[in-house]
Parts: sequence; C-alpha cells; structure tokens
Amino acid sequence: MATHHRQNAAGRRKVQVSYVIRDEVEKYNRNGVNALQLDPALNRLFTAGRDSIIRIWSVNQHKQDPYIASMEHHTDWVNDIVLCCNGKTLISASSDTTVKIFLWDVNTLTALTASNNTVTTSSLSGNKDSIYSLAMNQMGTVIVSGSTEKVLRVWDPRTCAKLMKLKGHTDNVKSLLLNRDGTQCLSGSSDGTIRLWSLGQQRCIATYRVHDEGVWALQVNDAFTHIYSGGRDKKIYCTDLRNPDIRVLICEEKAPVLKMELDRSADPPPAIWVSTTKSSVNKWSLKGIHNFRASGEYDNDCTTPLTPLCTQPEQVIKGGASIIQCHILNDKRHILTKDTNSNVVFWDVLKACKGEDLGKVEFDEEIKKRFKMVYVPNWFSVDLKTGMLTITLDESDCFAAWVSAKDAGFSSADGSDPKLNLGGLLLQALLEFWPRTHINPMEEEENDANHGNGYFQVPPHTPVIFGEAGGRTLFRLLCRDSGGETESMLLNETVPQWVIDITVDKNMPKFNKIPFYLQPHSSSGAKTLKKDRLSASDMLQVRKVMEHVYEKIINLDNESQTTSSSANDKPGEQEKEEDMAMLAEEKIELMCQDQVLDPNMDLRTVKHFIWKSGGDLTLHYRQKST
Amino acid sequence: MPGLQGDNVVAPSSLGSPTKKSKLSLKFFQKKETKRTLDFSEPPPADEHRTAEPEAPSLPYEKAEAMLPFVGLNNLGNTCYLNSVLQVLYYCPGLRNGIKKLYSRSKSKNKLKEEMVKSEDEDESVPAHMELLGSFNSLITSVEQLQSGFLLNPDSYTEGELATPPRKLLQLNPMYEGYLQHDAQEVLQCLLAYIQEACDTIKKEQRSGEEDNPGSSNQKPFTRSMRKSSNEIVAAPVAKEEAREEGADVACRGEDGEGESAPKASEGKRKKRTRLSWLRPSSKQPSIFSKFCSMGKISSIMAPKNQAEPEQAKSGPKQEQTACKAATEPTTGDTQDQKTVDNQDGLDVLERLFQGRLVLRTRCLECESYTERREDFQDISVPVQEDQPSSPDDLSEVSPDPKPEQKTLKWAISQFASVERIVGEDKYFCETCHHYTEAERSLLFDKTPEVITIHLKCFSANGLDLDPYAGLSKVNTPLQTPLTLSLEEWCTRPAPPEDCHYRLFAVVMHSGVTISSGHYTAYVRMSEMRDVRLRAKRDEETNEEDRREGDCVKQQEDEDEEEEEAHYDDGEVSFGGARGIHRSKVAGKKTEGAVGLLGGQRSAGNGYELGGGKQADKAAAGGAAEAPRRRPGGGGGPVKKEAEDQEEAAASEQRALSSLLQYEGKWLLFDDSEVRLFEEEDFLRACSPDTCSTSTPYLLFYRRTPPHGPHSVPG
Repeated sequence: MATHHRQNAAGRRKVQVSYVIRDEVEKYNRNGVNALQLDPALNRLFTAGRDSIIRIWSVNQHKQDPYIASMEHHTDWVNDIVLCCNGKTLISASSDTTVKIFLWDVNTLTALTASNNTVTTSSLSGNKDSIYSLAMNQMGTVIVSGSTEKVLRVWDPRTCAKLMKLKGHTDNVKSLLLNRDGTQCLSGSSDGTIRLWSLGQQRCIATYRVHDEGVWALQVNDAFTHIYSGGRDKKIYCTDLRNPDIRVLICEEKAPVLKMELDRSADPPPAIWVSTTKSSVNKWSLKGIHNFRASGEYDNDCTTPLTPLCTQPEQVIKGGASIIQCHILNDKRHILTKDTNSNVVFWDVLKACKGEDLGKVEFDEEIKKRFKMVYVPNWFSVDLKTGMLTITLDESDCFAAWVSAKDAGFSSADGSDPKLNLGGLLLQALLEFWPRTHINPMEEEENDANHGNGYFQVPPHTPVIFGEAGGRTLFRLLCRDSGGETESMLLNETVPQWVIDITVDKNMPKFNKIPFYLQPHSSSGAKTLKKDRLSASDMLQVRKVMEHVYEKIINLDNESQTTSSSANDKPGEQEKEEDMAMLAEEKIELMCQDQVLDPNMDLRTVKHFIWKSGGDLTLHYRQKST
Repeated sequence: MPGLQGDNVVAPSSLGSPTKKSKLSLKFFQKKETKRTLDFSEPPPADEHRTAEPEAPSLPYEKAEAMLPFVGLNNLGNTCYLNSVLQVLYYCPGLRNGIKKLYSRSKSKNKLKEEMVKSEDEDESVPAHMELLGSFNSLITSVEQLQSGFLLNPDSYTEGELATPPRKLLQLNPMYEGYLQHDAQEVLQCLLAYIQEACDTIKKEQRSGEEDNPGSSNQKPFTRSMRKSSNEIVAAPVAKEEAREEGADVACRGEDGEGESAPKASEGKRKKRTRLSWLRPSSKQPSIFSKFCSMGKISSIMAPKNQAEPEQAKSGPKQEQTACKAATEPTTGDTQDQKTVDNQDGLDVLERLFQGRLVLRTRCLECESYTERREDFQDISVPVQEDQPSSPDDLSEVSPDPKPEQKTLKWAISQFASVERIVGEDKYFCETCHHYTEAERSLLFDKTPEVITIHLKCFSANGLDLDPYAGLSKVNTPLQTPLTLSLEEWCTRPAPPEDCHYRLFAVVMHSGVTISSGHYTAYVRMSEMRDVRLRAKRDEETNEEDRREGDCVKQQEDEDEEEEEAHYDDGEVSFGGARGIHRSKVAGKKTEGAVGLLGGQRSAGNGYELGGGKQADKAAAGGAAEAPRRRPGGGGGPVKKEAEDQEEAAASEQRALSSLLQYEGKWLLFDDSEVRLFEEEDFLRACSPDTCSTSTPYLLFYRRTPPHGPHSVPG
C-alpha cells in the first residue's frame, strides 16, 4: 500500500494516529456513495462510499442479502472507482490523495492486504489539484482525470505519461466517460454542462445544457449515442447526443446524484443504478423510455417541466445511517452522537466501541442529562467525514488527560488506585499486537504482563491509521494485523517517536501540575499567612488538600500546645490516614470563589468550573462552624 | 449622465471648440509660479522637482486655451495630491451639493449649540470631521464664486486669479502639513472618511435632537460610522468627546489634528497620536479583503513627513481666512428647521455615491453549496501587473494562451475578484459534507455604488528598501483604461444591467517614479454643464439656494410647497432624458433655480433635458410622478412669475452659462491652478502609456450610466 509515498523520516511532517470506531463488518454504506461499477459477468455491483469503504454487492434480485464483501484500504472518501480489464482491475481515487489500483482474482478478492496490493500501486504524478473524476477506456490504454483546474488531463496508464490537456469547462470537472477505443470523451462539470471531446482532435465537439446545476454523474450507452446524466439538481436525464433536444427525465432522486451506472445486460440498457449523497443505492428501470420516445410523447419544449419516467425505484440497496452530529462529554471519554435516522448513541472512545444505543431521543436533552461536573483536558479529536467516528490522537495533547483508575472504572489486582493516562493507554491498546511493544529489553521474560495496557483492549478489527497532520495517510492497518510480518515492518517505518516512547519504551508521560495558593478564609479571622505557591497534580482531589490543611496547618498549630500522639503513629498508619481524612472533612472546608468545594472534586475541575478566571487558582480553608 | 452621453455629447462639441488664446498660456504658467511663491511663508522645498516635471507633455497645445471658465487649485507646496482629488470630488456628480447641504445642516446645529453653550468661537470646539466639512464647503463656495465671477465678467480676471488654495483642507491631518508628496488615494479615503463621519454625527445629532431638546444633543455619545473606511479616523472621535466635555479646549483640538492654533507644547503628543490614527488606512481593507492587499503601503513612509509639520503649523492661523467668506454663508434657523426632516435623505450622500457592497462567496467544491459574507467598500484596489511572474509550468501549457502585452482594466478587476481556492493543508470545513473539503472563494459586487473608484496599485514596496525617503517604487506597467466599464460579470445576481454599466468621468494621474515624489494631476470629464448655476454673493439668494438644495436630494412625497415640487420636477424630468416642450419656461426657472440644481439627485439625470414634462410622467416613479403632473397648474405659475422678476439678470447669466455648455463632454486637465481642455482622443492618448511612460492613471472614477431612455427608468 502506497509505499512510494513514504518519505524518509526527516522530511516527514508530524504524524498523527487515528482509529475508527465501527463494527467489524460494516455491511451498509454509512454515507453517501460516490461511485458505482457494475460487473455484468458476475452480476456484481461495486460501490465506493464516503465511508472510505468499497463494497461489493450481488445484484441478483432473488438473494436476500446482497452484501458480499468490503475493500477497506482507503482512509477517506473514495471519490471514484473504475472497473476495467474485464473486471480484473479496479482503479480508485480517494480524498486521501491516492490513486489505487486493485488487482485480484475472484478468490483473493477479500484477502487484499497491505503486501499484495503494494505490487501494483501506481501513481499519476503532476496533478497538483485533487482529482474529482477518473475514467479509463475498456482497453486500458487511456485514463482521463478531471480536477479543479477545469481541464481534462489525459494519461497513458501504462507509462503514466501525460498525453494532453483539454480545456473548455469553466468549472470543476466531476464526471468523465471514455468510449471503447479511447477516442471520444464525455465530461460533466459543475458549470452545468456536458461536453463531448475528441481526443484525436484534442478539442471539444459539442456542449449540452440539460441540467439546472452542476453535472456530477454521466453514463452513456455502448453505441455512444445516448447520454444519461445526473447531478446537483437530483434529476436524471437521458439525452440524445446527436439531437440534444430529445431528452427524457428518467427520475428524480431525493438527494444530489453522485454516480450512475447503466445495466448493460441488454441493449438498450434495461436499468440504471443511481447513488446519491444518501447512503442507499437505487436501481431505476429504463424500460418505458423507448416507448416513451417512440410514441413521441416527450416534450422537447424545455420550458414545460418534464414528467419523470419512473417514480419508484426497481431495486434498493439499503444504506446505513451516518453520524451527523457528535458531542464529547466532559469526562473526555464518552461521546454522544446522532445519526441520519435521528438515533442517539453513546460511545466509549477509550475502548473504541459503542456504549449504548439510546434510540430516537432528544440529542440536546441527552447531553444535558449526561453532564457531569468534571474537567478532563482534551486529548483527542473527532471527525465525522466517513459517517463513522474517527478519533485522532496528536502528539500535542494526546497525553494531557490523567484519571484515577477507580474513576475510569478499572480495578487493579492489588486494589490500589493508580493514575492512568488515557491517551497512553489507548495507544498501547491499539498497538498491542505489534511485536515491538512486547519485547521489553529490560525484562524480556515478562511478555504476557506487558501485552497491551493491562486494563482493556480495543476491538481487534479497529482500523488504525497513521497519517500526516491534515494530510496524507501513511499507513492503515487493522489493530489485529500489526503482528503480521509485513505490517510489523511497515509499522517500524511509520510509527512516530512519540508513540514509540509510550508503547515500546513505556515511558509514561509526566503528570500535569497545577499551581495554586492556599489561604485561610477571611471569615476565620486567622491572619493571612505568607502566600505560598503550591503545586500538585491537576487531578488531586480536594479531599487531599483538606488533609494537607488539617495536618500541616491546623494540626501544627495545635501540636505546638499538645505534643502527644507523634510517638505511637507507626502501627496504625493506614487507619490513621483514613482517620485524618475523616477528621479533616469533619473539621474544615475548602472554598474557592466563596463556594464550598466537594471533597471529591479534583483541582482541575475546581479551576475549570469554579475558579474560571486566569491566574493561579486560590483556595481558602476555614474550620467548620458546627 | 452617463448614458445620455451617447446622444448628447455631440451637441456641445458641435458648437465648436472654445475660443483660443493660446499665447497666453506661457504667461499663465509664469504667473502661477509667482503666485505660488507668494503663498508660502517659506518656499516649498520640493518645488524644484515640481517645476521640472514635464506637464502633460506632447499635447496639442493649440487646443488648450488660457482662460477656461474653470477654477484651479493653487499648489501649496506639493499639494497636487490633494488638489487633484479635490477637483475630482468637486466635479463628482452630486457630491458638491451633498456637502453644501450637510454643511448647512451642521451650521444650524452649531447655531443651536451656540445658543445653549454660549461659546464664543464655535470653531474652537468643532471636531475634526465637522471642521473638514466646513472647509470643504467653503472651498466649494469659493470655487463656485470664482467661476461665476469669471463667467459674468471674464475680463476682470487675470490668469492666475482663477484659482483658489485648498489650504484649510490641508489641515485635516498634520501628516499633510509640510510640502511632502502624499498618496492621493489615502487623501481621498481620508476626506471621504471625515465627511462620512460628519454625516454620521449630524444624523446622530438630528436623531437625538428630535428626541430631546436640540441643545443637549451634542452631549450624546458619538457613534462610530459603520463604514469601513471610518476606521481610519480613530483619533477623531476621542478628541471630539473631549472637546465636548471641556468646551472650547484648545489643546484638545490640537489633538484632533486640526490644530493650527494649538499650543506648541502639545504638538509632539498630538503628532504621535494623529500619526497613529493615520497609519490605519494602510490596512484599510480589513478582513476579507486582506488577500488583495499584497501591495499595501508600508508605514515607515509616514515617518519623515512629520518633520515638516511644525513649519506648517506656524502658518496655520493665517490660512483660516481663505474661505471665511463662504463659511459665514448665512443659514437662517427657521428655514433649516423646516427642512430638517426633509434633508434627512441627504445624509447618505456618501453611502449613495461611493459605497458599494462586496460579497465574499465560499463554495464547497464537493456539494457546491456556498456561504456568503458581505462587506461594504468605497474603492477597490486592483493590481496593474501580475503578482508573481507566472511559473514556467503554466507557460508551457498545451493550448497556447498568448500573454496580452497590455493588461486591461477588466483583467485587473478579475484579479481583484479572482477565485481563490482553499486547498491543501487549510481546507474548508463544509457543514453539509461534515468534511474538510476544497472550496473556492470569490468576490462579487453585491451592490454597485453610483461612483466606483478604482485604485490602481501602482506602488509596490521593493522589499529591501527600508529608506523611508525612497518611498514605494512605482510600477509603470501600463493598464488600459477604457471609457466605459461593465461590472456585470462580477455582480452577484443578475442585476439590472444598467446598474453595472459605468462611464469614466475622472482620472487622477500620477507621474513620477515613487509614491513620495512625482506629480498628481486630474482629468475630469465635464458633464451636466447645464446644471451649473451662477453663484452670486447675495446672501439672500444663497440662502434660498441652500433651501432648495435640500429639496433636490430627498424624494419625499409629502412636500406641500409648490416651489419645492417644481424643483423636484427638474430632477425627475432629467431622468426622462427627452427635450421638453416647455423649454422657455424651464429656462427661466432654471436660472432662478441656480445652484439648487447642481448635482444632488440630479447625479443620475442630466440638466439638458429639463422640461420634458410628459416624459417625466412616464418615467418618474412612485410619488415622484405626481409632481410633474401638477406642474402646469399650481407649480408652473409661481415659477414663471419668479422667472420674470429676474429676467434681466437671468439673461446675462444665461449667456454666461451657455458658454459653459461647449465644455460638455470635454475633458479638462486640472494641474493645480492650471486648467486645460482636452478632447477625448487627446485625453486617451494622455492616459495611454505610449506617450508618457511615467505618467500613469492612478485613481479611476467611473460613474454609473443611467438607463438609456425613459423606459428603463427603474421603478
């Protein structure tokens, strides 16, 4: 996979780690479907989704479940796919800026791995702008790419040589078609026009204006005489290339049309598959179209609205819901999301899994309901571009969040309550199968204990992605595959040092310190001590501060009078500590901004929710009046 | 009147060129020199290079004549930057009138205030922008008086006398004191900003005056102008408030930057402050325009200018006398009160004339939905050359795209409105796609102003040159200046085409090689010569004129006074654009109407076509249509009577005025106190870079072409 993209470490930009929270098998398109290809020989439909997954469907109507398999190698929207060479090769172009060429035979189809796909990776260089459309002729001799530079670039895929550029469109080129021998090309553009080009003459032969808005999808019959077009206006038309006045409105979709694919099992084509920005894919019958035309019922007066040929699709490949809204809860571990079906789901980011399906509840209400007055620093970011949750960890803040194991719901064997770093634990879990993370040079024998983070595992199917910040994907693999030989080696090249530090070298990041001042409350009448600047872990509980106050300040005052108990301290130390806490809580209270603090609150929460202002946190203590 | 030009320009030019006294031109020039020297307490240091400057070389001199009935502005030592801008503003349709109206309104306010506060000298406490308004008004008055005087009695003027110094305006900012060259565009911005602020102040006062008693209105806190350019005048409002609190506090006034009588002691402080505020214009295109400001001025250039300030400050008080006559232009309280409400519309004169709105449109390339942001503008700055030389890669493109030798204005505006693509690392987050997508950003005109000012970015900072004296070096790359301009392709919605068609009416030229040196001149195309009225010095008449001027601007339907309606007619009739049958009646009325017919609402019409009552009926929209209909009855009578009363005077004035008509459609070159006549071809040649390589257009002023005939009058 895309090894040619890997540069030496020196030239590389900051590398981030991302992972996707999803089901092991994502049977349904999660998001809009950008591309469709039909394999007539096997009666299969390929869909390339904005969820980054290319799916293969059986379009045999009798089958209950059309889903066959997924190809999950892209990390961002797949924008176009082309099936060619008699169905042996699939070319895909993605927003992750790669063009991938998949080569397989039917048997290995689902077994594409990083290794066997690297072989055939090829690159079309020289295109600075993102590619929005691709087409290859059936003989595999020409590839045309369309991009925001408004020109069509023509390539020879065998040599990757640039053949020509074609100018004429005034906006982005979003759809391309080539005829069989690669001499003619059709293009659909955001400028609302369809153009017919002669590659031999290197010029535009004709321009068709059928749509009200951008033309995003095109199909043509084998004879290259009738063009089917769809786009932002949601309408699909069939236009006679030789007589543009003859056009039929086939149907109107519910969302902008992203892609269409003609069913060519007969001539004239009996049906057309249509995908939109919604996740389901529809098959529309074209059967009536020729009667329609023959009867002369169509109206070529463009001013009167055409009535659509079909109102109901012949077949539907159901799509799934995509997440369109999300809210990170205060614990910085759980996320609430809402999807296109208005279902609200509660997720656990740390364990990379779904927490709870809440159904169709009010999203904002649920957020309010789950509000907790705790403050944990941000340590990850979320994005919804694929319609699934993609969590990204960045070096700058990944290790910002510490929590106590108890709070996080993890119990350790010895009953202690260690501090856990969320980002660190997660990275360890994501790479737990990578051999390097369990070969500890210091204690080689303790392999098992060092597996993962010792607290939890993420689902082994979780895709892990290493990519440059805001840019290119360097490497994508599934969590469980990191033990593989090839993957392991690729990881060696890809994993950034800041991840190595914690997963391989087990260097735990430092605690966040928070500076604060401790002073007697003005109501206590005690004289204000010299302002000492204290420092503690930001997750130190108020209770501990109270203990400190009780022990070090108030008791000191008392001890000066009664120096009694210090001798017999040793035996009941544990007991005494609890005593002390109890005593402290009974005797004194801590205040911030004149608000009495809950002993369970930690300092960062106090600072965030109560102190609120800049400057160092100042706490006041006073003895309880009762 | 723009659109009418096509048919009407012919008429004046067919009258034949004005009479010639070409021999006098040399003498004229010499005289000017003398006069200029007299203007100064000290000779201007930069004078030398001024005179060395070839004045519009290679022009068919025999066509120019010595005594044109147009008034020049004396050069007070490199004040050509100001003179040229002032001339353009003077001839800018509608502005002159607007200023006068604003001023008279402000006078009435001051009067009221005076009564309340019993301030001895109102000027003392007048904030900068109000003072500027006064100065500008007095300048206009003196120019009009000079012109009228000349027209009525040409022989009494010798060449050098047909000019007036714009002294008071120089004091609008201490930066302009001294003899250094300045950027004409900045001055323009500054002037307009002050005037706008004055508008806002008056508006504010008026509003508060309606609510409370008028006297207390001045204590109301000042609201900042909403116009974007107003951010240039930060210091002024502050100072103004001080001034109000303290009454006539001299020191405060000094801080306004007005300061001729400011004590020396406060000067240092004052300079610092005003300079700071003055630096603002260099970043005057805020936010969304930032991408177009690559050639912005560097601030270090301002530094040396202050060194010359003290000299100018010394001679300050004397200069006040210049236009004091005009400043005392009487305004009687009752007339003003009566007009207060009516005049309200006059307050937006600047917005109406110069302010347009741009929309920044960001379109997601994925879903092709877009978001928009709107912002007001007063001028647009366009490049005259490519920012970076195009990459060799682009040059080797497949289809050969021959580089045009000369960039066109169209190209320049396209650059300004160019599509910027948001790609790569800083993608656009599209709310529809939930994805960082690529996007395109483009600037479009959402609302086009009456007058569009195009600033050609001729000055580029050459990176390493830190010498503040060197200034910005000038790009003499030629840019073709068309006489007509259509903004249609950069307008948002399919706007009515007449809204985006423009005709060039003035050009400020710069000759020289740096921003801090060289010479500015202005070409103005004379129009609406029929609207020019003689300005007699009788107080009564001026007073009346003022009153009428007010009427001209507003389009209120509830006017009852017949006379006002009659004037109103004129404005509307001019829209009709057809020669009327009531010619004689109108002629009389015209004379009586005098200055009242200048500019104002008429900016969209043409004085030529007065009297087309029938057409007006068809053309005039809404309530306006009513007035013309009533005219033959109630309105016509009194008008005619008045006309007869003044018949005698009118006759001579008419003669004088008709002599002006021959200049309609002609271009005049205002080179400080010198005014010369140009035929259009000659003007174009002068603009064209072939004839003079360092003399290039710097500011272009296009005014909207009105509808071509009565049918296209917008309703």
